[in-house]
Amino acid sequence: MAAIRPDILRDDQARADYIRGVRLLKHEPTTLTTDRFGISGRARPVYTYDLFVIWHVLAMNTAVPPGGDAGTRNAAHRGPVFLPWHRVMLRWLEAHLQRVLGDPDFGLPYWDWALDGTPPALGGVANPAASALWRDTPDGFGGQGSPVRGGGFAFDRADPTSFRVRIATDSSGALRQVTERGLARKFGQNAPFGSPRLPRTGDVRTAYNTRADPSLADYDRPPFDVSSRGFRNRLEGFTGPGLHNQVHLWVGGDMAPASSPNDPVFFVHHCNVDRLWERWMHRNGRQYQPDMTAPPNLLGHRIDDPLVSPFAPASKPDTPGGVLDVSALYSYDVLP
Amino acid sequence: MQPDTADPSQPAFLATYLAGLPQPEHEHTGPARSVREDDFDGHHVVITTTYEITVDGRPLDVHIGLSNDGSAHCHGLPAYQLPSLVDLVRVLIRTFPDEFSPQPTPGDGHDGHDGHDGHDGQHTNDHGGAGSSGHSEHGDHPEHGDHSHVRDHGDGDMHGDDRPGGQ
Ligand SMILES: [Cu+2]
Repeated sequence: MAAIRPDILRDDQARADYIRGVRLLKHEPTTLTTDRFGISGRARPVYTYDLFVIWHVLAMNTAVPPGGDAGTRNAAHRGPVFLPWHRVMLRWLEAHLQRVLGDPDFGLPYWDWALDGTPPALGGVANPAASALWRDTPDGFGGQGSPVRGGGFAFDRADPTSFRVRIATDSSGALRQVTERGLARKFGQNAPFGSPRLPRTGDVRTAYNTRADPSLADYDRPPFDVSSRGFRNRLEGFTGPGLHNQVHLWVGGDMAPASSPNDPVFFVHHCNVDRLWERWMHRNGRQYQPDMTAPPNLLGHRIDDPLVSPFAPASKPDTPGGVLDVSALYSYDVLP
Repeated sequence: MQPDTADPSQPAFLATYLAGLPQPEHEHTGPARSVREDDFDGHHVVITTTYEITVDGRPLDVHIGLSNDGSAHCHGLPAYQLPSLVDLVRVLIRTFPDEFSPQPTPGDGHDGHDGHDGHDGQHTNDHGGAGSSGHSEHGDHPEHGDHSHVRDHGDGDMHGDDRPGGQ
């Protein structure tokens, strides 16, 4: 049976299961140690949850095409593969959560952040920091702080089972070990350090308004980078009101750098991004650009190019085109 | 998407795959360099820009990219596209404060993570998790040896609550 992905604020059981599953993966050894990933310092065990931090950082540092400039486009961001690559990553986390929870039908919950970013007069909450997501009770994510001291991911130095950050990056984006510390969040900082607000429901709505901007009926458009028109870049947030990027910036702390999967809110945020993409495909068809006629400088971003995914070396690798229809694996309870 | 087979369900599967990925090269060859290209009215334009950035007199080793609209980004900050390099460096300082902590005076009792001698692994005191002093271990990047990555404040907090500018 395919999983159904629920709204994390409307499904208490899913939220509790997610927190429990993340904590289990956070303390599950993979049998590999940090040295195997080229992370300097004393070799220490790498745990399943932290693999997703490593994967994100490595994909981001992978220039696509090889030898190109990872700053222009990389294997995870700033180009067409942004949505397919994160879809694959989320699916791997979901599968590991299903395994440790012993629930093959567990669906990764999504955080509909635009509802939290919308003022009460427009149907939202009074203050995004007061959203039920950030409750300090064990079934919440805790709020801001350095370290975060409440909720299911609170840090308690004396409690080795509490949530901790072990692997991060330095300013150049290279992986590094940190002595185990708690999660850090700092909501709503002003530019350039963060974003004072979350995206609003109106911002999301305009991303589908193909009458106001006909390019939004296309998945992506040349030059397929951060200057592109089209839906992908609008949702990634380099054009328009920000959307995906703005959520990272609003949360701040560990959500800001390349190691942002350190914060479990990363996955429920990206699950919502994936949902918004799914909604777009419902309206505009399961289409993707660029196709295989695109020039070599777009190698790695074309529809049948392998993604940086564990199935890449196999005979039938994960590709953008191969992940456009995921109905056999999961669906969303509600498409906005 | 591939079906989840028995093997990939084990964490070692993903771990082994990731361990086999090429390591990103962080080559540090002189000043930061950005190349922009444009094709316009049948002409091919290449704009190469180099930057020398220092913080407290120390060179800053980040790969900076400039987009054609002039905005700047770097690997370490994927969700940021900033209007100026001044902003970019400010965000780096705020996000990675331990890399910009002052040079220690000799013998001030820091952990010895100075990254200069390249004895990778010898400075990585095992703080042992619970009850540890919580010092960051970053700094033992021999390839980053032109910085002195020394920190001496506890708790490893990359985003301390005590800094101004937030809410
Ligand atoms: Cu990402």
